[in-house]
Amino acid sequence: MKCTSWIACIVFASALTAAPGDVPSAKPAVPAGMVAIPAGAFAPLFRAASDPKEIPVAAFLLDAHPVTNGDYLEFVRANPKWCRSQVKRLFADAQYLTAWAGDLELGRVHSNAPVTQVSWFAARAFAVWKGKRLPTLAEWEYAGGATSTRTNGIDPELDRRIRAWYSMPSPSVLPPVGREPANVHGVHDLHGLIWEWVEDFSTSMVTGDARGDTGLDRQLFCGTGADGAKDRGDYAAFMRYGFRSSLKASYTVHNLGFRCARSLDPEDS
Amino acid sequence: MNPGTMMAGSVHWRLRSLIALAMASALACAALAADQPPCCNKEIAPAAPLSDRSLYQLESSWTNDAGGAVRLGSLRGRPQVVSMFFASCQFTCPVLVNDMKRIESALPENLRTNIGFVLVTFDAERDTPGALAAFRKLHGLPANWTLLRAGPADILELSALLGVKYKKDVRGQFAHSNVITVLDAGGEIAVQIPGLNRDPAEAVRAIRAAFQRTTAFAPSSTIN
Repeated sequence: MKCTSWIACIVFASALTAAPGDVPSAKPAVPAGMVAIPAGAFAPLFRAASDPKEIPVAAFLLDAHPVTNGDYLEFVRANPKWCRSQVKRLFADAQYLTAWAGDLELGRVHSNAPVTQVSWFAARAFAVWKGKRLPTLAEWEYAGGATSTRTNGIDPELDRRIRAWYSMPSPSVLPPVGREPANVHGVHDLHGLIWEWVEDFSTSMVTGDARGDTGLDRQLFCGTGADGAKDRGDYAAFMRYGFRSSLKASYTVHNLGFRCARSLDPEDS
Repeated sequence: MNPGTMMAGSVHWRLRSLIALAMASALACAALAADQPPCCNKEIAPAAPLSDRSLYQLESSWTNDAGGAVRLGSLRGRPQVVSMFFASCQFTCPVLVNDMKRIESALPENLRTNIGFVLVTFDAERDTPGALAAFRKLHGLPANWTLLRAGPADILELSALLGVKYKKDVRGQFAHSNVITVLDAGGEIAVQIPGLNRDPAEAVRAIRAAFQRTTAFAPSSTIN
């Protein structure tokens, strides 16, 4: 079943990228390591009463796995300004890549484990270097709403697994990516391994403490925040939104990594 | 060929050379103008290398309300009072601009003539140079105010450094936090003042302090 939906996704993605009069052999293939996520709709956790309940998400490409230490090492080799010893504090805090043995040495971290301790600026720089970008929050949540059998909706079993993951500290040495089965789109490790950067992480809870803020989302995270939320039972989503809103772009966290996305329409990239 | 024709020929050649030289100079000036600081931005500090904390390390390309290409680094050399806005903002942005004007008025003259004000739009799509120019006219912003736009990814990047959060809604309006940032002459954040209708005194203090640091390197110091 997974195989046929993979084929369906590729055909769908190809159909979207073909223009009238195209020679069939000129259709762009899905890049290695990425999967095509079909268009759909995503119900944001928080929204103002006047906002629509669902946001359309255009079809897009998403990395099947988080970016690994091995991937990131290639990037740093090609872009020395992103070496641990050379990076500017403005763009990454003092914990940047401290789990690595050296500027260009992984040491005890697995090459195939997700890279963490990278800031939003660093993640974006990697994505640009690869000709990609970070996924938007809507894209990530939409893809992350899919389980191994369903494209959306709360799966109580998945929710239980995620909560179990949240209840334990992350291992000091992260395991390789791809050990858990993929979801129905063919994407691995959206849950249960690391937190992940998204392009517009800062839109989680736009309203801050300052009275001068204009925010559509006036609810605070605790207590009254739940009243305006799509699903008060989706504890995992609350955790993600809360975590994202605690981040600043230069922060690095030992269990925060990322994966890349790419628009299907090249003009949108 | 008679001497008259030869003379006319050589004059013609010289004229052509002169025109070519003038055109080349004009082109060179235009190219340089892209990196020229905005109006009135004579440097008051020597061009020391940018520090690790300078926002002017960003390499993004910006456009001002005259349609000119601007690098953020061209703002260096004097403190800048920076905020983010969008031209069709009806409620808080006019208050924010007014707060910045109050800071400007509160400064003594020798400081006022040596700083700049910068407004960066969230609205990559609708705030074209023309829209920004209309905004400048509407609010009577003088030449030492710089209005900037860029692509969405570059705006997001700068906002991340300024700590400004914003979100576009379905109607194309932006919900956003309000922060006025004072950058020193080297582009480092000197102070950030969140919220609206704030007393300009804090910003004035920060600008004064930023000047003390700057003029410590300048040969003549008449800033008090």
